[in-house]
Parts: sequence; C-alpha cells; structure tokens
Amino acid sequence: MAARIGIFAVVVAVFLSIPAFSSAQDLQIVNAERRIDLSSHIVKAFLTLKVENIGKSAAAEMLLAFSPTQIKNLAMVQALAITGKKKKKTYLPLDVKPTEQPDAPNDTGYYRVTFVSPLGPGETVSLEVLYILTHSLEPFPVEITQSESQLVYYHDSAVILSPYHVKQQTTFVKTPSTRVESFTSIEPANRAGKEIKYGPYENRASYSYAPVIIHFENNSPFAVVEELVREIEISHWGSLQITENYRLTHGGARHKGVFSRVDYQSKRSVSGASSFNALLAVLPPRVNSVYYRDDIGNISTSHLRTGFRKSELEFEPRYPLFGGWRATFIIGYRVPLEDYLFEASDGRRYLNFTFGCPLVETIVNKLTIKVVLPEGSKDPSAILPFTVNQDLQVKYSYLDIVGRTVVVLQKDNVVPTHNVPFQVYYTFKPIYMLAEPFMLVSAFFFVFVASLAYVHIDLNIARK
Amino acid sequence: MAAKPIASPIPVALYPTLSVFTLTIGLVITAIFFIYETTSSRKNRSLGKELATSAVASVFLGFGSLFLLLASGVYV
Repeated sequence: MAARIGIFAVVVAVFLSIPAFSSAQDLQIVNAERRIDLSSHIVKAFLTLKVENIGKSAAAEMLLAFSPTQIKNLAMVQALAITGKKKKKTYLPLDVKPTEQPDAPNDTGYYRVTFVSPLGPGETVSLEVLYILTHSLEPFPVEITQSESQLVYYHDSAVILSPYHVKQQTTFVKTPSTRVESFTSIEPANRAGKEIKYGPYENRASYSYAPVIIHFENNSPFAVVEELVREIEISHWGSLQITENYRLTHGGARHKGVFSRVDYQSKRSVSGASSFNALLAVLPPRVNSVYYRDDIGNISTSHLRTGFRKSELEFEPRYPLFGGWRATFIIGYRVPLEDYLFEASDGRRYLNFTFGCPLVETIVNKLTIKVVLPEGSKDPSAILPFTVNQDLQVKYSYLDIVGRTVVVLQKDNVVPTHNVPFQVYYTFKPIYMLAEPFMLVSAFFFVFVASLAYVHIDLNIARK
Repeated sequence: MAAKPIASPIPVALYPTLSVFTLTIGLVITAIFFIYETTSSRKNRSLGKELATSAVASVFLGFGSLFLLLASGVYV
C-alpha cells in the first residue's frame, strides 16, 4: 500500500517536473508564404509565417525543419519578428541556432528560433525567415558545349516541411528567365512568366513533404571561390595591409568540346552564355596601393573606382571562365589604420573589420581570415555574430624577434550575407612600438663600435 | 559609446620629410665621428667623445632608416 502511494507520488513528480514549455505539437502555423528566388546560383528563400499557440502553456521558441540535403547546403538562417501593422511595421531580429531533436524523422535538420517574449496560449506572432542555400542548383545536362545554354535542376518540396500543422500555405518560385523546361505539378500549381506558384495548400499535417523538381535555364555567373585566404596585417605605424589569395572556379555545367575564340568574340550573346569573365570586388572607401596579380605576374585587366562609401575593383581573369575552369590570383590593398583600429573602454585595442569575401554574388567554399597582430600583442580574442573555427599561429615578418600572433578564423560555405563586421580584441602597451627603432639603432651602434674597436686595437707585433 | 580610433603616433604624411631630415642629421654626425677618428692621434683620442658621437649618430640613423622604410611602404 505504501509502495503504491510511493510509486504514484513518483509518477506525479515526474509529470510535474516536465518543463512548462510547449512541445512541438502545441504550435500551429496559420498562414505560410514562401518566396524562393532562383535568379542566381545562391538560392534565397523568404518565409513569412503566422504562428499560433494552440497549447495551454507559453511557448518560448519554435523549430524550423529542413531536409537532410538542405541542411548540408544551408549557409545562413535569419529570423525577424514583425510587430505593428501596415505602415508602422517594426522588425526585431531573433536568435536562431541549429539544434538537434532526438526523434527527427528521416534525418531532418532543425533550427531553433527564440521569440522576443514567450508566446502565450491563443496568441499569434508573425515571423519572417530568410534562409540561403548554396550549391543547390544542379546542372543538367552536366556537360554543355560553348554554344549551349545552362539548364539546372532545383529540388525542393511544394509543401513547406515543418514540425507543425500548417493551415494554409503558398510557395512562389522566381526563375531568372522565362525558359522553364519542366516543373513537377502538384495541384494547384501554375506558371506565369518567370514565376511558378505552388498552392494554396490547405491543412497539411506536420512533416508532410511533396518533392518537386524544377528544370530551368540559369545563365547567371556561377562564381565559386574554392578557397580564399585573407590576411590582414595590422601595423601600428599607420596602415592595414590586406592580401587575398583566391582560387576561383565556375561551378556550373562543365564545359565540353573545344573553346572557339572566334565564336566567343563574334557571337557573344549565344556563345558562352553561362560563362563569365568580369568580376566585381567591393573594397573599403579609402583604399590605396591596390594590386591584382597571379603567379605569372601583374594582371592589367582591372579598373579601380574609389568612392566615399566604398571602392569598386572591376577585374577580369586572364581568360573567360567556362564550367569547371579555374583561375588563381592575388588581390592586395592597403587601408589607413584609424578607420579600423579602435580603443575599447577597458583599455584594450580592437580591430573592427568586415568578414566574408569582397566579391559580389560568389560562394566561398572555404574561407580563412588571418589577422596578424603586431609584435608584443597579448590576449587575442575574436568576437563574431556566427560560429567560426578559431586558431592561433605565429608569423615572422619584418624586424621581428619573437614573432607576431596570428588569429586564424575559418568558416565554410560563406555567402555575401556574411559580410558583417567582426572584432578582434588584444592588449598592447604602446612602449613596445619602440622595439623596432631600437633594433635599428642598436644595429647602427654595433657598426660604430666595431669601427672604434678596429681603430683602437693595436695589432703591431713589433714593440714600439 | 563612440569608440576612439587609434592612429599612428606620428602623422603618416610626415614620414618622408622626417626620414630625409633625420637621415641627413645622422649622416652629418657620422661624418663628424669619422673625421674625429682620422684627424686625432692615438694619444689625444677621447673614448667618451667617440662613444657619445657614435651613440647620437646611431640614434638618428636608426630612426631615419625606420621612417625611410615606412615612407616607402614597408610598414614594419
């Protein structure tokens, strides 16, 4: 009898100790509208969700689900909460983090979005989610000749994958041109010009998935930087020297057959429709000493336009890039120190610089940023709005004795939306700046002392 | 919370001028040192004077070469 009461008490205690937040089934998406932009090789999807809490307890967060292939290619997920109506809408950024759920069906990946304030029972909230996918357009045919246009597959689901019940949803897909070879039709679906509309779909259960394939023409430049190493060297004597090593490829349908320069130059609109030869790099405003070279030497096909808010370097590799072709080059430039190095309130110095790649509309598969701190810097630390791999190295440069500390930040799958400022903090005593001139002074003094010794030493054997 | 920008202790535009002046002064004092060495005899040479001249000359030459490096773009 006592044992039974004991067991009952334990069971009640277990039930009471379950957290008072809703589980996945207590939220419901009333309305979802998804707009997928397939104009460039970076796929951008905008999701507008109206989420309602149909449970009995407050919900502090919700989950966004992605299929296993999408999770691998996701470069960035951002969420905003919309408050206010019509003209007075305000957008508040929400915290989004990747998460894992133990009972995920078919290896679904999740991102957890935390609300501004917990959603009470019966309340609704409007969210806008932006997610960016890289390497999601699959070229088909895989190989094309110079005179063909590039056609790609896009795989997705007509029904939004969600752990919650979705009452009403529509998906709009925007293609870059009106040429769409085929698209899977899941009623009601229709195409008008450059837009394909899937929906509206009513009352879909959680985790419902309707795979579709859209086969369309996309001749936008598939510029993929396989590896980019950016080195930012800080010199307290007045400048920041940035050196960028690029390995650029064309990530679209591979080129087969010969390359005819005659066809390429005479029929430019038809020949090499998916190739590209010009690239644009956005550099800081007060930039000087810009150079663009590769292993052979200087590459003169470049134009630099400096401006007040930014500078633009329009450059061309030595040859146009077709599918599967590569180009390796180095871009370097110098910027004044006072634009980027600041003193924090606690006495530490910090570098405020932009992360990411200066090239527009390019994906970087592997990005490494090395911040070379001057000799004598201690306690380096980096603050970034997203996760990167951090490491420390030592580099020996001009007039160095102990070497310079290098903060190495490494990230995969970087898109232009990652071009946000980041900070690297370190402590530095200004007296250490005198170490370099002191080395030069002592070198010259050594020469003088050597000449003095030569003059004073008597090497005569004969006694005077 | 306006962060204070950190700049070089010496204005960057002054580097070429400074390098010319400090190097000239350094070379003049080096010349004085070597003239003293060659014109004085072993008996009336004063080690203190020699060391003082060489110290001043090496300071000026050291800073001059630093500003020369900075002016030519090698930001050490």
